[in-house]
Amino acid sequence: MAVTSKSTKRRAAIAIVLTLALVGVLVVKLVDIQVVHASELDAQAAVARGTTVPIYGSRGQIVDANGTVLADSVLRYDVNVSPVDANKFERTNAAGKTETVTRTQAAAEIGAATGQGTAAILAIITGALKDDPQSQYAQVITSVDVPTFDKLNKLDIPWLYFASHPARTYPDGAVAGNIVGFVGSNGKPQAGLEQSENTCLAGQDGQESYQHSEDQVALPGTTVVTKKAKDGGTVMTTLDSDLQWFSQQQLAQTVPALGAEFGMVTVADLKGNIKVAAQYPSVDPNDVGATSADSRGAMMFSTPFEPGSTFKSLTAAMLLDKGLATPETRVLAPYEFKSGNGADLHDAGYHADERLTLTGVLMESSNTGMSILGSKLDDQTRYDYMKKFGIGEDTGIDFPGQSSGILLPVSKWDDQTKYATMFGQGVSATQAQMVDAYLTLANGGVRIPLTLVSGCKQADGTVTDVPSHKGTRVVSKQSADTVLDMLESVVTTGEVSKQLQIPGYRISAKTGTAQEPDGNGGYKPYYYVSVMGVAPVDDPQYVVSVNIGYPTTITSSAAAAPLFKTIMSQVLKNYRVKPSTSPPSDLPPFY
Amino acid sequence: MSATSAVERPDARILHGSPDVGREEDSRRHLEAVAPRAGRRAKPRLVYAGITVMMVLAIVVTQLLLSIGVSQGAYRIGGLQDTKTSLQREYQAVSEDVNRLSSPQNLAANANALGMVSNGTPVYLRLSDGAVLGSPAPASGAAGTVTGASGNLVPNALLNGVPLVTQTKNVAGALPSTSGSAAKTAATPSANAASSGSAPVALDGALPAPTTH
Repeated sequence: MAVTSKSTKRRAAIAIVLTLALVGVLVVKLVDIQVVHASELDAQAAVARGTTVPIYGSRGQIVDANGTVLADSVLRYDVNVSPVDANKFERTNAAGKTETVTRTQAAAEIGAATGQGTAAILAIITGALKDDPQSQYAQVITSVDVPTFDKLNKLDIPWLYFASHPARTYPDGAVAGNIVGFVGSNGKPQAGLEQSENTCLAGQDGQESYQHSEDQVALPGTTVVTKKAKDGGTVMTTLDSDLQWFSQQQLAQTVPALGAEFGMVTVADLKGNIKVAAQYPSVDPNDVGATSADSRGAMMFSTPFEPGSTFKSLTAAMLLDKGLATPETRVLAPYEFKSGNGADLHDAGYHADERLTLTGVLMESSNTGMSILGSKLDDQTRYDYMKKFGIGEDTGIDFPGQSSGILLPVSKWDDQTKYATMFGQGVSATQAQMVDAYLTLANGGVRIPLTLVSGCKQADGTVTDVPSHKGTRVVSKQSADTVLDMLESVVTTGEVSKQLQIPGYRISAKTGTAQEPDGNGGYKPYYYVSVMGVAPVDDPQYVVSVNIGYPTTITSSAAAAPLFKTIMSQVLKNYRVKPSTSPPSDLPPFY
Repeated sequence: MSATSAVERPDARILHGSPDVGREEDSRRHLEAVAPRAGRRAKPRLVYAGITVMMVLAIVVTQLLLSIGVSQGAYRIGGLQDTKTSLQREYQAVSEDVNRLSSPQNLAANANALGMVSNGTPVYLRLSDGAVLGSPAPASGAAGTVTGASGNLVPNALLNGVPLVTQTKNVAGALPSTSGSAAKTAATPSANAASSGSAPVALDGALPAPTTH
């Protein structure tokens, strides 16, 4: 009896323990479902029961320094018909009466709204029906804008339906088009900032679901956002769209008039902000197909050129910095110079031996004079200086298809290259690199990295990805300032001085007439002409670079000089730069 | 089933003679005692029944009204969301217009059309001491427009078909002309209110300035 009772108790205990364990497991599961994973399961349930729709996270804007919109996101509408249903239908007209509309009549209305004409619409419908008599889908037109959509929507045609999709629009057209870039019809960025700043610009689409009544009205309280949409950030560029337009307009007038292939204008302020990055031909991102494929990139970043004589300023700065020359250092510059080791070079035009100072070498742009003076520097020192000026180095700007130019290591220099690199041949640089090098001279010898994008403004207002403006010293302030003083002689007394002067302002400029390789070991018949300058000399604020590729009517740097003056005047006017107060430096070019 | 156990149990408890039995018996007796009381209470009291029915009815009606209200709200929300979508569409269309009309190409073309010329000699007024920097010279008609003779050369596909201010017939018609009579009519409040909707306010001579006394 006692044994039985014990075993009964034990059995009862086991049963209780088992029951409790079972209850425990169920409680855990219950808490898991009702508390831990409640929201997740709710969302799943909502999706399963309701209709799921995407919430679009829009792609961010690209704006200029003043907030002018250069690229924007809009909704566009694709218009489709269901050909099998494209028969006559009834609708209520404006007067409130029911009218019957035939297919032809409807096609006429659609054709009028889209601008395609009646015949084209009817052809689309009959064409689709010929391929498939049960066809429910035929595309009438893609990407129509809101006014057209409104017109079509008002027609109330039951077999006409729409699909909206986000698209890009570029309100300023080709203004900075090559910099802004464009996106493909599939929404994928293909060029320019659209491509390089995609991480900032791209929005993330979200998702929500809801249950709806028979007439498609969402039931209250059933809307569940399963994934939040995130709008893309705004890319803030340093460009000035008005000045950019002015530069492009001027290029578009000048380049064809000179019979040239292309032109570039670059303007940067002392902080390294690129204010203008203009080129001709330029691309209108709204209509990419209108521009040939090789004019769709940004030349100033992608295409290196042998810079030519504008490079002499850098060699002069090196000489001054090493204490190997002063502005008055004398040199007897012949027309032709032979090093004795194979190098054979000469000046652009024949002249008798000239008694030049270093200032005069820059003013007259004497290749021989620069070679004689420059040979005081050893090759490795010059190479190191060039690297510090940013030649052959990455500009630090993130831009698709950017080139760093070609600066061969000293060991690969032949004797001709050794001298040619002193006056900008045998080395190549993009215009961005050259502008940065001149910025170094304007900025008291400190090289500041160029900036094209000043940051990414997130949807919540915070600004991220702010680039560094930290500079590195290349040459002493004294040397950099002296180079500007010497270059002023180009504007006051040089060959094209009359075309460069702007009354009231002290300007330093250097011209260049470079030969470019033709790809077959020789040089092209026409020159790459340029003027690079800084103003005002007494308080440098802007660097302007003008380059024209292979002009045929005027082949010297005189081709670029008037444009330089126009652009520089506009820059000074635009930014209200105060006229100079000190007299010109007046360094003697001859002795 | 319960009746059977109720019959069986007392025997077992009596056999054991445990103190519990007495209590259980008490409780059973207690249960038995309740029944007649409940019976007594069950006597119909119309007032209570009426209140209960009324309350149930009231709840049902309230619930109905609430759900009607909620579904009304749902339609209202749906309607407002449609309005919002169409307003967003309108906003987009209008800001697209503003952005393309304010593009430099369009501004320059309109400036040209209005006969504006650019002055190549900038002059500055220094506010601190009123000094005039630069040598002022009036812009001559021959100075040329901002785009030069060639017109705008920077393409913008968005401006295709956008008329210049000088070509827009309806705007030109609505614009108060600069002649004396029109300027006078524009000065009357009613005409002002009428014109402010569609056309820019006429500039009569000097720059507009607030009137202070």
